[in-house]
Amino acid sequence: MTHQLKDGSQVLQVGMLARVEGEGGMHIEIKDKVVQSVKLNIFEPPRFYEAFLRGRKYTEPPDITARICGICPVAYQSAATEAIEAISGAVTTPEIQTMRRLLYCGEWIESHALHIFMLHAPDFLGFDSVIEMAADYGPVVEMALRIKKAGNDLMTLVGGRAIHPVNVKVGGFYRFPTKADMLTLRPDLERGLEESFETIKLVSTFAFPEMEQPYEYVALRHPDFYGIERGTVVSTMGADFPVSEFPAHVKEFHVEHSNALHAHFDGKMYMVGPLARYTLNFAQLSDRCKEAALAVGLGETCRNQFKSIIVRAVEMAYAFEEALRIIDGWTDGAAPSVPVAPKAGEGMGASEAPRGIIFHRYVTDADGIIQDAQIVPPTAQNQPSIEADLKTAAQEWVDMDDHSLTHRCEQAIRNYDPCISCATHFLDLRIKRS
Amino acid sequence: MTEERAFAGRPLVIGLGSPDRGDDAVGPVVARAVEALHLPGVDVSVHEDPTALFHLWAGAKCVVVVDAIMSGVAPGTVVVREAGASSDALPESAWTQTGRGGTHAFGLATAVELARTLGRLPERVILVGVEAESFEHGEGLTAGVAGAIEEAVAAVRSELERACVGSVA
Repeated sequence: MTHQLKDGSQVLQVGMLARVEGEGGMHIEIKDKVVQSVKLNIFEPPRFYEAFLRGRKYTEPPDITARICGICPVAYQSAATEAIEAISGAVTTPEIQTMRRLLYCGEWIESHALHIFMLHAPDFLGFDSVIEMAADYGPVVEMALRIKKAGNDLMTLVGGRAIHPVNVKVGGFYRFPTKADMLTLRPDLERGLEESFETIKLVSTFAFPEMEQPYEYVALRHPDFYGIERGTVVSTMGADFPVSEFPAHVKEFHVEHSNALHAHFDGKMYMVGPLARYTLNFAQLSDRCKEAALAVGLGETCRNQFKSIIVRAVEMAYAFEEALRIIDGWTDGAAPSVPVAPKAGEGMGASEAPRGIIFHRYVTDADGIIQDAQIVPPTAQNQPSIEADLKTAAQEWVDMDDHSLTHRCEQAIRNYDPCISCATHFLDLRIKRS
Repeated sequence: MTEERAFAGRPLVIGLGSPDRGDDAVGPVVARAVEALHLPGVDVSVHEDPTALFHLWAGAKCVVVVDAIMSGVAPGTVVVREAGASSDALPESAWTQTGRGGTHAFGLATAVELARTLGRLPERVILVGVEAESFEHGEGLTAGVAGAIEEAVAAVRSELERACVGSVA
């Protein structure tokens, strides 16, 4: 819909941008075919939760922060438990770390399956929604539902519930599932693994616009495996430091047009998420995942955000492999948690949410009462790079008609799988030409 | 531990929504109230993720789904709508008006219409929508919506009696 404004310029109002999690607005101004400005405005719930956490007990953040997002509760729980355990000085066992990774695999599978098939694939296949896509690609959508359900079932078994796992606590878990219980999932996980490799092949056949990102990529690197539930912070510019130094490098700041704080890494915009993980930690993927990625033309690094759909498919396959590896290697009998005593201090934790690094910091008093809380979610960190991508995209394809340009810009946003979670309005996208 | 039910043929009530986000909790609250009635032969389930519907209602013939809606009418207004395989498709506008809690980008109406396209929609699906006012984080139900719980529970009961009679396996 095109409106003539009083100042003579044109605004293309797209209304709601579907297939993006949550609420936000975007405004692009183009003058004489030159993009003047791009503003992304999102509502981000963690600000509310940071205030809500003050005065609560040190044992509460895993349950409270898991409610921030129905898509990535495990990401919040993992970062929160790690931060609180850091204050206490409690050291969790390898079994607890392993079970956290298994739970996280369920979340990666669920989240990536939802985004790849239901939200992102329709862009590439020329459909407005997955409903229309299902008419022509019924078996693919059925496969998507099966894959997502396998992730769901894994989260239900380990976490106690498919959404907002209740089995997680500071220090570990209330109880471990038994190996016998876990083995019941094996057939579905094996099928999901094979279907994920099919997915890699399928999505790699899509047509991808050429657009390389020059930004610094930041991800967690696990000492032994591809980073998921924990790790040290590494970047493509050579940064490598423990999570406790995150605040020294990442500075949040307010911009007038967004309710969510923006963030810079060592003073510059940066990007977190699947492309950063893949580019920084490719060597830690399994041989089969590496081969599958290289076979479909992904290099050992990937800087085209439109191709993030392939990277998510590779990560989905990897999560299935990891889940099977963990289940096969599991031995019953270990204690599901370690004691975590209240202590005055500051602690930090981070994990790789499906959309990128999530960071938590807590300050507690001697009774374990939370004095200060800070949550830095991935989508907030990526706001400057989303805006930069949009500016590049709008300029690169400025000669497209408004409808096509709008769609291309929507795609550029959906590339990030932005989880502006939990609000009630969809993204309102406007292009203003004058 | 999976989401399939033991008695897949029985009438099923599903409350959809987040328990912790203002009026979005109305689906689970109504479903729990229905569960407390211990209606014979009726299963009750609560979920936040509309994509779970495909597996929750597999094998069911008659399903009542309760969810918060935003359609611009007075908060607390209860709306009942048939959406099953034996009914017409929901209008496209409904995709953006229902199921905004939880997985917003994939709402209740999307799940219903996707299931219809895939041939996985139960014969009778009745949507009981309660008009929401606020989806604030950490808040409970607003007064208008809390005041509509009784009416919504009655609507679910009446739909179970009207639409689901004879669908007990």
